Formats: sequence, structure tokens, C-alpha cells
Amino acid sequence: MADKKKLKLPEVGQWPDKLMAPALIAGAVLTTLGFLMAFFIVPPVGGAAVDGVELIGDSMVSQKMLLSQKIFYFHMPVAITSFLGMAFGCYYAVRFLMTKNQRFDTCSRICLEISLLFIIMTMITGEMWTRFEWGVWWSWEPRLTTYLILMLIVIAYFVLRSSVDEPERRATFAAVIAIIATVDVPICFMITRLIPSSIHPVVLREGGMSPEMGMCVGLCALGMLLVGFALYRARFNQVRLTQRVEALKESLED
Amino acid sequence: MNPILADIYSTILPSAPYLIAAYALLWVALLVYVLIIFRGTKKAEAQLMLLEEAVADQQIKTQ
Repeated sequence: MADKKKLKLPEVGQWPDKLMAPALIAGAVLTTLGFLMAFFIVPPVGGAAVDGVELIGDSMVSQKMLLSQKIFYFHMPVAITSFLGMAFGCYYAVRFLMTKNQRFDTCSRICLEISLLFIIMTMITGEMWTRFEWGVWWSWEPRLTTYLILMLIVIAYFVLRSSVDEPERRATFAAVIAIIATVDVPICFMITRLIPSSIHPVVLREGGMSPEMGMCVGLCALGMLLVGFALYRARFNQVRLTQRVEALKESLED
Repeated sequence: MNPILADIYSTILPSAPYLIAAYALLWVALLVYVLIIFRGTKKAEAQLMLLEEAVADQQIKTQ
């Protein structure tokens, strides 16, 4: 009983809520700056070599310019945000299993919801790039496959939630699925390093980013993380309000 | 146009629709989620108002 009293539960009006609006504004500003930087400051990367050299601006160009690469500046940040959402979802799932408090289940569910949103955004941006660069809508490439598995596990998480009525059983099953899904995150991140034959670009390992590109990705990543955090808090506030209304309804009916 | 320059710029226009679609769909997905949160909040607030009215009615009846 004493332990339950000490347990500090996430609730509306706590310090993260004070950061929600500034985080959303900062996220919007940073992603906008990142977008402008991607198109107006960072030069396009070169593709296949052309038969000759031309002076463009103040540099000699001997490769095809790849506009499609500009997708990368948002593709990688949304993927990082989805991974972080999974990590927090797993953290709250573990806390639920330790305490059996439904509040942690709510937090875990919202984290996975945000993560699914960013997974879908990663898939969309990735698919557009894949379609143009590889000429196919889908390839069973290791990174794509492991990321698809992650997406399917997260979708399964929500299917499972909707199919179990009893709250504690539902939360327990969901917590286990959330932890299993998170196991796929490091696999997904490391797969291009573990399987060298992978055709997925590995810019961080290969040092393929110029300082401008790195700064642009950094701005977009920070912006997306802040947007993700603001969305999480907004959704948490809405879900808590709905839960409180439902609890009030039940007590009135009694 | 200079054939070398044409070759250098050859992928720009064909890739533009995919680039625009990627960015547009990304923001649409975000916007849809924001709308879901907004609608959920409005719905919960409306229910809260109804509950407040029901509580007020009950109080009048008990008096």
C-alpha cells in the first residue's frame, strides 16, 4: 500500500505539459528550417557519372544530380522518432508489468500509437524513394523487411488490444507484445551493418554526409522528435480526459 | 541544351512527383493524427458538459 502511494504516475498538468506548446512550436520551426535547408542550401548529391564535366555554380560536376535524395532529410528523422517511440513504449510496458497500474499501459499504448504514425511516415517516404531509385514499390531488402516486421508487430499490438475485453489481461498481453516489438528495433537499426550485401544506404557508417547534410538531418531529427513529444502529450491529455469522463459516467450510473 | 548538362539534370524532373508525394503524404499523415486528437478532445469535452448538466439536474432533484 505504501509503495502504491509512493508511485508517481504520469498525469495531465505535470511538467511535460508545460513543454508541450514550446516543443510543438520549436518542432515546427526546426522542421521548416530543415526543409528550407534541404532544398536551398544543401547541394544535391551526385549519382552515376556522366560522359563529361560541366561547371555549375562554382564547382565542376561530372555526375547526375539526384533530387530524390532530398527525401532522406525527413525519412531518417521520422525513422529515428519511431524507434524512440518504441523505446518509450517498451519502458512503460515494463513499468506496467512491474506495477500493474493501468496508467502505464495507457502511456505505452500512446507511445506505440505515435510510433506507428512515424513508422507509416517512414514507410511512405521510403517507398517514394525506392520506387524512383530502385524502380520497384517493394524489395525484400533486409532493412525494409525488418522494418515491415516492426510495423506488422505494432499493428498486431492494436489488433490484440481491440480483441481482449478484460483490462488487466489486455494490458499484460499488450505489454509483452510491446517489448517483443522493441526487440526488433536494434535489429532493424543494425541490419545494414550486419548484412553487408544490403543495398540500403548506410550514410552514418560510410561517412557519406557533408557537414551541411549532417546539420540538415540534425535539424529535421530534432524537430521531428519535438513534434513527436508534443503529439504524445496532446494525445495523453485527450486520452486521460476521455478516461476521466468514462469514470465519471460509471460513478453517476452507479 | 548542352547534352552533358541535360544528362546531369536528367533525373531531376522524373523524381519530382515522388519527392512531392513523399513530403505531402508525410505532412498529411501528421495532420490526420492531429485531427484525431482534436476530435477526441472535442468529443470528451462535449460529454463532460453533458455530465455536468446531469449532475446539476440530480442535485436539483435531491434538493
